Amino acid sequence: MDLRIAGVGTRLGGRWVVDGVDATPPPGALTGLLGPNGAGKSTLLRLVAGLLPPEAGAVLVDGVPVHDVPRRERARRIALLEQESSSTVPLTVREVVALGRIPYRSLWGTDGDDGAVDRALAVADAAHLADRPWSALSGGERQRVHIARALAQEPELLLLDEPTNHLDVSAQLSLLGFVRDLGRTTVAALHDLNLAAAHCAHVLVLSEGRLVAAGDPREVLTADLVRDVYGVEAVVLTHPGTGRPVIAFGAAPAGTPLDRTPVTEGAR
Amino acid sequence: MTSTPPRLDNRTAAPAVRTPWRPPLAATLVVGLALLVGTVLVCVTIGPADIAVPDVARSILGHLGLGPAAGADGGVPVLVDAIVWDLRLPRVLTGAAVGAGLALAGAVMQSLTRNPLADPYLLGLSSGASLGAVAVLVVGVGLLLPVAAFAGALAALVATLSLARVGGVLTPGRAVLAGLAVSQLAAAGTSFVIFWSATGDSYREILNWLLGSLAGSTWQSVLIAGVALLVVGTVLVASAVRLDAFAFGDTAAAALGVDVDRTRWVLMTLVALLTGAMVAVSGSIGFVGLVLPHAVSAITGPAHRRLLPVVAVVGAIFLVWADTGARTVFDPRELPVGIVTALIGVPVFAVLLRRGKGSAWT
Repeated sequence: MDLRIAGVGTRLGGRWVVDGVDATPPPGALTGLLGPNGAGKSTLLRLVAGLLPPEAGAVLVDGVPVHDVPRRERARRIALLEQESSSTVPLTVREVVALGRIPYRSLWGTDGDDGAVDRALAVADAAHLADRPWSALSGGERQRVHIARALAQEPELLLLDEPTNHLDVSAQLSLLGFVRDLGRTTVAALHDLNLAAAHCAHVLVLSEGRLVAAGDPREVLTADLVRDVYGVEAVVLTHPGTGRPVIAFGAAPAGTPLDRTPVTEGAR
Repeated sequence: MTSTPPRLDNRTAAPAVRTPWRPPLAATLVVGLALLVGTVLVCVTIGPADIAVPDVARSILGHLGLGPAAGADGGVPVLVDAIVWDLRLPRVLTGAAVGAGLALAGAVMQSLTRNPLADPYLLGLSSGASLGAVAVLVVGVGLLLPVAAFAGALAALVATLSLARVGGVLTPGRAVLAGLAVSQLAAAGTSFVIFWSATGDSYREILNWLLGSLAGSTWQSVLIAGVALLVVGTVLVASAVRLDAFAFGDTAAAALGVDVDRTRWVLMTLVALLTGAMVAVSGSIGFVGLVLPHAVSAITGPAHRRLLPVVAVVGAIFLVWADTGARTVFDPRELPVGIVTALIGVPVFAVLLRRGKGSAWT
């Protein structure tokens, strides 16, 4: 899918929470959407999903404004996973994933492609969870099931709002690596700069609703950017194994070489 | 460190709870409908006058023109026929329709508001409908009864949801508190209107509206409740897939292609319509809509395509038996059926509260 975000903007309570954002996330790759709390990441994702009408500009999918695409067709092409998605309904994992087939179902509930649920479960590596109650899953398993639900929509574009929140390190790494390897156009709002640096082919950095940087994380994520956007001093190192940027927070003492061994302060 | 791939999910934890076995929908419905027919036939025989199931069947067949008429050769005696056809059958059938309608209304409200405690009675719709009904009865326009009850239910729904949203997000706990306030106000209004106007036994009449009673059921009640159930119930069952989409909230539903605002508005109005029709013929019977969806979804699972038809059938069976108990257990005294449903419903409400402990209910 060809996705173009063209000068899109919207207001909430009179303030422009997304303001003239222009971007073209690369097709078939994972794009990280970065920025501090309140930068407009979630709102931008909702605009891209077509759930919020833009007040300025447009989001174009294959050249068509996304808000003009009929709802059901849109839901077959774009899947959005919100932050903090929970339910009090006692669903099983398979039932949660089957919700992703709703855009394909007729009035009386027939779908005609039950294989999609199994495929999504398999791709998301969640087939072994299929018969378990959703409420009994761990945080990492829940996110995996949510992603399976999104995949059951068979979308061309996957939008994820902080999919790694509340996950432990291992679950964060495995989830984002898995999303990257799907090879599907994906835009994921992320809090963890190092995670984004390690996995994203492209990053968009938002600050107060505006796009302040976009491009390859190896070029975009600099000490200056982190200071300007997050107001935090940082040193950007290079991971010796992967060659990806690693951001260490805290000011570098004057004259320190950037590839120094970290000081072991943990032994206090 | 870099050479070991990140571990996937922790698979050592064995599944603690297995999915319960869920019977096929068609079989469940066939069994349910058979039980409903049996319930109707049996409950018509229960009462002070001794009547057997074959008498009931012969009376019904006679009226449908499928058998000899009452009093004719081979037909039931005229007295028996009068008890079956004019007294008990309308009451039992009204009870079945009201039970089905209230159970459906509760199930749909619980999904639309994502509130396991939602129910036409707890959120004030039933009391609002009673007030509307009583108000037109006083004016003397009996024909408008269901319409006024619908208007009352809708007004109460809007009042409850607005009140619950004042100064914060709509949580299940706040919705129930707001429903309590609206319901008390409407109940006070109902009592006031009856006191102001009634000449006869106003206490009994007030009790019948506030606690619900099927004692006054006629074939007209069957018609009102039955038509509302068939029309609104069909639309609700046809909306099952859209209701499923609300499981993870409004945004998730919108992302699945559902027009969230329109769906909620239309379905809530239909629920108010259904509640209004049921209250118009029976007063405000509580807890049917609260209890049955939870009990039935334990068997059918939460998917609405399965849940809604089954909950309607089970609601019908439940209320017919509850009403049969209400009119016979303390014979010759008769209890308002709402007392019986409350006796069953309140313990279930307590269990739900306990189960919701620690979650974001308040």
